[in-house]
Amino acid sequence: MNRFSGTKLKQVNPHIPKYFVIVLIVSFILLVVCVIVSLVFGSKMVGFDEVIDGLFHPNTTSYDANIVRNRIPRTIFSLLCGVALGVSGALMQSVTRNPLADPSILGVNTGASLFVVIGIAFFNISSANQYIWLALVGAAFTTVIVFGIGSLGRNGATPIKLVLAGTATSAALSSFVTAILIPRSHTMEQFRFWQVGSVGSGSWDSITTFAPFLVTGVLIAILTAPALNAMALGDEAATGLGVRTGILRFASSLGAVLLCGAATALAGPIGFIGLLSTHVMRLVLGPDLRFVIPMSAISGAIILTLSDVAGRLIGSPGELEVGVVTAFIGAPLLITLAIRSKVSSL
Amino acid sequence: MKPEHVFEVDQIVAGYDHKTIIKEVNLVIPNNKISVIIGPNACGKSTLLKTMARLLKPASGEVVLDGKSIEKIPSKKLARTLGLLPQSPIVPEGISVADLVGRGRFPHQSLLSGWSKKDYEAVAEAMDIMNITKLANYHIDELSGGQRQRVWIAMALAQQTDILFLDEPTTFLDITYQVEILDLLTDLNHKYGTTIVMVLHDINLSARYAHNIFAMHSGKLMAEGKPSEVITSTLIKDIFGLNCQVIEDPVSGSPSVVPIGRHHINYS
Amino acid sequence: MRNNSVTYIMEGRQQRRRRWIIVTSILTALACILCLLMLLLGNTIYPIKDVIRTLTGEQIQGVSFAVNVIRLPRMLAGLFAGFAFGIAGTIFQTLFRNPLANPNVLGITSGSSATAVFCIVILQAGNAVISIASLIAGLITVIVIYGLSGIRGFSIGRLILIGIGVQAMFDALISYLMLVSAEQNLPAALRWLNGSLNGSQMHDLPPLIISVFILVPIIILLTKHLSILELGEQSAISLGVNTDITRMMLILSSVIMIALATSTTGPIAFITFLAGPIAKRLVGAGFSTIIPAGLVGANIVLASDLIGQFAFDVRFPVGVITGIIGAPYLIYLLIRMNQRGEL
Repeated sequence: MNRFSGTKLKQVNPHIPKYFVIVLIVSFILLVVCVIVSLVFGSKMVGFDEVIDGLFHPNTTSYDANIVRNRIPRTIFSLLCGVALGVSGALMQSVTRNPLADPSILGVNTGASLFVVIGIAFFNISSANQYIWLALVGAAFTTVIVFGIGSLGRNGATPIKLVLAGTATSAALSSFVTAILIPRSHTMEQFRFWQVGSVGSGSWDSITTFAPFLVTGVLIAILTAPALNAMALGDEAATGLGVRTGILRFASSLGAVLLCGAATALAGPIGFIGLLSTHVMRLVLGPDLRFVIPMSAISGAIILTLSDVAGRLIGSPGELEVGVVTAFIGAPLLITLAIRSKVSSL
Repeated sequence: MKPEHVFEVDQIVAGYDHKTIIKEVNLVIPNNKISVIIGPNACGKSTLLKTMARLLKPASGEVVLDGKSIEKIPSKKLARTLGLLPQSPIVPEGISVADLVGRGRFPHQSLLSGWSKKDYEAVAEAMDIMNITKLANYHIDELSGGQRQRVWIAMALAQQTDILFLDEPTTFLDITYQVEILDLLTDLNHKYGTTIVMVLHDINLSARYAHNIFAMHSGKLMAEGKPSEVITSTLIKDIFGLNCQVIEDPVSGSPSVVPIGRHHINYS
Repeated sequence: MRNNSVTYIMEGRQQRRRRWIIVTSILTALACILCLLMLLLGNTIYPIKDVIRTLTGEQIQGVSFAVNVIRLPRMLAGLFAGFAFGIAGTIFQTLFRNPLANPNVLGITSGSSATAVFCIVILQAGNAVISIASLIAGLITVIVIYGLSGIRGFSIGRLILIGIGVQAMFDALISYLMLVSAEQNLPAALRWLNGSLNGSQMHDLPPLIISVFILVPIIILLTKHLSILELGEQSAISLGVNTDITRMMLILSSVIMIALATSTTGPIAFITFLAGPIAKRLVGAGFSTIIPAGLVGANIVLASDLIGQFAFDVRFPVGVITGIIGAPYLIYLLIRMNQRGEL
């Protein structure tokens, strides 16, 4: 990977962003708050003592302490999904040089869903280990199609082209999802569980399944960040700086697909996290991906976990899918970005 | 000959969103003549034309046609006297040339009627003048830029107005087509006495084809009159900030501007 | 010379008009056949004779109930909703000069849909309230997306992106409402996210049918104005069209029809998007595509519903079928627009 990051690249932006330290501290405080909130709130509230009991006194067997223990894997899982989706969004935005890129807006989530549904319906697949591979293939397949459609024509892939290609592809794929589901009530049951389950289905098992993909994806993101910084200046400028744009694009798209495909396989389609986390960070930290990527990971984790908690509270006594909550927060951001962007860049 | 009209611009102030572009312009359009508005970029020449064609409401002042403010004339009635060809008209997808030209007949038609004999004649006449009758059943997307521009002018002609405004009708065209379009407009003026007002970029072509020049700078009318009186090196220096010599165009005898840069000057 | 030109132009135009008349007649005939099939087909296939007798008011054991209470409302809902979606869609596409700027993509249908769900689930409201509320929601959605996209200079791209965002929010809202409703069942969710004719009832239909009968004539009167608006703001004003009023009347009429159709059948996927371009392709350019688009819309809805009901072992709601037909077409259109550099 060193071939991406020659010494020249380091000069692109050697400075640590102004607010980096503050942002880092605030993010960690928020992260801790998130974890506590996620353990405490839910369809049943538990007291602080029980949280402590649940976490640190394995011998306590009170009802509330058990609830807390059950919420631990869910919380960790939602943090990890948030990391995956945040980094995936940041990668997609840099690869496409498109501020609106997000796995859900580009239809990659729906692609993953379709493949999972096909697996459940036609190949009797039922374990998370198998979901994940199907979802990855689906996500990769959709990414290729959407980027393909979006970058046809004169100006290459403009933001609006990609968004439209994503929306169209997503609409097409979700029609197929519905068509496959309707005649198969058993599949529908399973699929709805998968889809509605959201991060609620997070268990220690899903965390261990998730971990290798997450680590690989995040590693790719960190290693490609300096070269992606150079590519922000345009393909030609990047080539001039010694970046091999073809390989770089492939590697970082692969990272993005691994992350969002795996997250979708395990948690169901969750939208807008990539868009939200990256834009918040870019607003504060500026464009340097070496800082934006890790911070998007943290903010993705925070946003997703808080949304999950909100979903539990709003949907009480049941649960509101976290995807619905993130759409409520994310869609207004999409609208704001559409209003603020320059007409020419659309 | 087209009937006589009095078209006046009276103390017009106009612009966009609180930004004033036209500052108190007064002028009278000479009847049955070709007038050209010239001036540097952003001097307000297009804005003036748009205000005169009621695309833009003036902040103060009035545009008056035959003693009546154009805002008070019913829009369809006004459209039978006054036509405009915008700078970049929008091409509807897949429409045929004849149908597009026919849309110029809108102000003469009622809500539901089809094309009357008069409509057909007007369209045929406009297309004959612009020499595009053979293209009648082509789709507009199949045409070249020069042909398209002729189609748009034909549409404005089918409107059969006495006064015709054109906003940079020659921009984006090769020099051959520029001359062709200006020749056709001159034919139109000679044959029917149509009053033509246009914005042009090219000073030399303006000087050759215009009977009357309006020269603008920073939203104000700086000079008006015959090209031979208006186009002088002093005026060009004043409004364009360009040092130049004005010589006689060897073809038409109209004034012709020869710019003086910092290089390639072979006299002292 | 002049007369030759007139004849030449006239001939070309008459040819195009002939094509328009033929296409429109065929579409009308096709719609009639599909309507008849909707009445004939079902669990039991009744003879035409019996169906006609029940329609004229005779009581025939078994047939009367199936035809008058189940099949007729379903057929009428499909016919009028398809017609309304088709016309409203093509008006939007023409006004904004972009096939993607249709009420589906702009979130107007999901706005009406979400409101209808809200009225049903939360307020347990009656038909009148549902119609009026989804109508108001449709109008507000238009005003909001139009207003938002004008804040920093209007552009069609901005409008479409904002529409997509608004749609995402409404769809999320529908999901939420389905969740809190006690009867969270999939058929209902499908109806309000994809559109379905299942369970259409006679007493749901009057608002939609009346609005079509009042608004379509108004729209036809404005056909010529619409064709001038297509030339752009500046040309339209100089040809004597009062652009603001005309545009407002057209949008208002379209939104009313969309809202009422949506509150009856749900936002049947892609009809507002498909009908216009298909009609244009069929009739060619130069003549109005409004009526043909309405007919194309009705035909697609009726045909898709028949396919959904009878082509497979399972019954699919109409919106799933139109989604499967429509989405590939949307992608094809995107590819074509991209290649021509229209995006």
